[in-house]
Amino acid sequence: MNATSLQSTVREQLPTVLVFAALVLIPPLFFDPSTTYLSRRFITVMIFAIFAVALNIIFGETDQLILFMGGIAAVGSYTTVLTAEYFSISPWVTLLVGALLSGIFGALVCYVAARRQFTVIVLAIVTFAFQMIIMDVLVGLRDITRGSTGIPFRDLDLPAVEAATGLGSFAVQFYVLVGIFAGVFLVYKWLTTSRYGLAFATIRQDEFAARSSGVNVVRMKVFAGFVATFIIGLVGPFYAATTGIVIPTLFTFTGVDVLVLIILVFGGLRSTFGPLVGAAIIIYLDNLLSQAGQWRTVAFGFLLTGLFIYFQDGILPVLQSLYEDTDVRDRLSALRGGE
Amino acid sequence: MVAEWIELFVDGLARGMILSLFGLGITLVFGLGEILNLLLGVFAVVGVIGSSLLLGLVPGLAVAALIAVSLVALFALALDRTVISVVYRAKGEDRVMLGIFVTLGLSLFFEGLLFIYAPGSVFLDSGVPSVTVAGANLTGSSILVITAAAVLFGLIYYFFNNTFLGIGTRTVIQDETGAVLCGIDTRRVQRIVFVLSAAIAGIAGVLYALDAEVTPASSFTLTTFAIMVSIVGGVNSISGTVVAGIALGIIMTVAGALFGSYLASVTLFAAAIAVLIYKPEQIS
Repeated sequence: MNATSLQSTVREQLPTVLVFAALVLIPPLFFDPSTTYLSRRFITVMIFAIFAVALNIIFGETDQLILFMGGIAAVGSYTTVLTAEYFSISPWVTLLVGALLSGIFGALVCYVAARRQFTVIVLAIVTFAFQMIIMDVLVGLRDITRGSTGIPFRDLDLPAVEAATGLGSFAVQFYVLVGIFAGVFLVYKWLTTSRYGLAFATIRQDEFAARSSGVNVVRMKVFAGFVATFIIGLVGPFYAATTGIVIPTLFTFTGVDVLVLIILVFGGLRSTFGPLVGAAIIIYLDNLLSQAGQWRTVAFGFLLTGLFIYFQDGILPVLQSLYEDTDVRDRLSALRGGE
Repeated sequence: MVAEWIELFVDGLARGMILSLFGLGITLVFGLGEILNLLLGVFAVVGVIGSSLLLGLVPGLAVAALIAVSLVALFALALDRTVISVVYRAKGEDRVMLGIFVTLGLSLFFEGLLFIYAPGSVFLDSGVPSVTVAGANLTGSSILVITAAAVLFGLIYYFFNNTFLGIGTRTVIQDETGAVLCGIDTRRVQRIVFVLSAAIAGIAGVLYALDAEVTPASSFTLTTFAIMVSIVGGVNSISGTVVAGIALGIIMTVAGALFGSYLASVTLFAAAIAVLIYKPEQIS
């Protein structure tokens, strides 16, 4: 590798490095042991950023609109917690069982959808109906799930790591989530730059043409569906751990799906850092509005309507094109040249 | 034993007719313009809350409901003129997507406002005494619902078979381009039907409130039920939706009585999923 290409790679990777450096610096700067509130909010941002990346993979890349993210997160959480309890082992082990079950369920739904050639709206309605069924069953099967009483759950702490590093439990939790986000981020990068990304693009443009040129559309859609629902199922237990209880109301359509949709569309479909930026801004807004009661619902309804009518491309791509259209870039390079 | 089954059947029929009306609200708008109207439940709740507020001002529930439903229709007209028009400007798959998200956003917006300004639960008293037939005790509300819904079905049937506008609507459902070529102003038909569906939802909401408490949160539940009924009946078929609503209402009531209430709604959602897997091409 010669010097110029090395330089350009560095420049390409610079945003990624900066973003992750900023994430690593968040706990020492903002996590205050006396007020857990702010730390919890940062953890929530990471969780919803990961949810949004998952939605980006399935909806952004392959146009499969799923509206049961809350339900999938619930499947992951309940499986993790209940199996951990039943076999009395650590939830860190059963985390993968929950994620795997979520992934298999998601893949199965996507398989049927792809084989039966569901349009976007059919898949949306089917997954929405599953969301409702999952909610009803969680409340109804109270012998197993303990219904709306919920199951206390705080076992995703890592006391050994806390003792070894001297970090607080929230900081450790945050770093674990940054780690998962990094993994998910790499998976997404790899997906979009590999032959999968190319296949996804052809499916988005013209499914029929993609099929006729040898793309296995069903396999691609199932693959994207598995990856996305696996991620959602994996992060579900962390989401539950933020409130310390696994309870059906945590996983409602408006509580998870609507929020993730707003985050992803706000951040920009198919943009790499859109989910993180969207999550940060929307969770911050959510936080501001939490005092205002139902005005929060009003504001999010307004935001969703406005976003879809005026900003379907999301905030990051709009800013990016602004940056490219105006002469900011020229001025920056002029500055650099003048050094 | 027989008396119990009659009671179950009559309650199921009443519930089913309400579901049919809600289903029609979805079917008409989706069949006509491919917009999945997630606002439908809001129209119903506004109708109910409006009726209960007007009940203190005007004599009788019927008058109050009539005024409230007219207000709902005006509300729908205002929405159609503004936001919904933007959605209709999009075409094909884009319109479907835009329709879902815009009406979802609007429903959250208005649901929030309802929670702020009318947070209580509303129950409307029909004032009709219950009747005992062959040992079965039939509630007054069920009898009123069945009668009112039957009259409404008659009116809707007349509208779609004997009026120019109704026949024009069916033409647009069958073939939008063909309807334009026949000189039908599709946008005008879409507007009238959107308002009509809101009014139907308003009436269905009032009938629903005769037997159940309605809160702002009900709007979401009612919308989901409406979508599921419409799907089971076939989103382009008016008669199919009516039949599906009645059948599902009876099945849900019986399933609820036999196996517990949460399985009643699970039955509805499972039926919708099964129909969509069996015939996904009905929504295209």
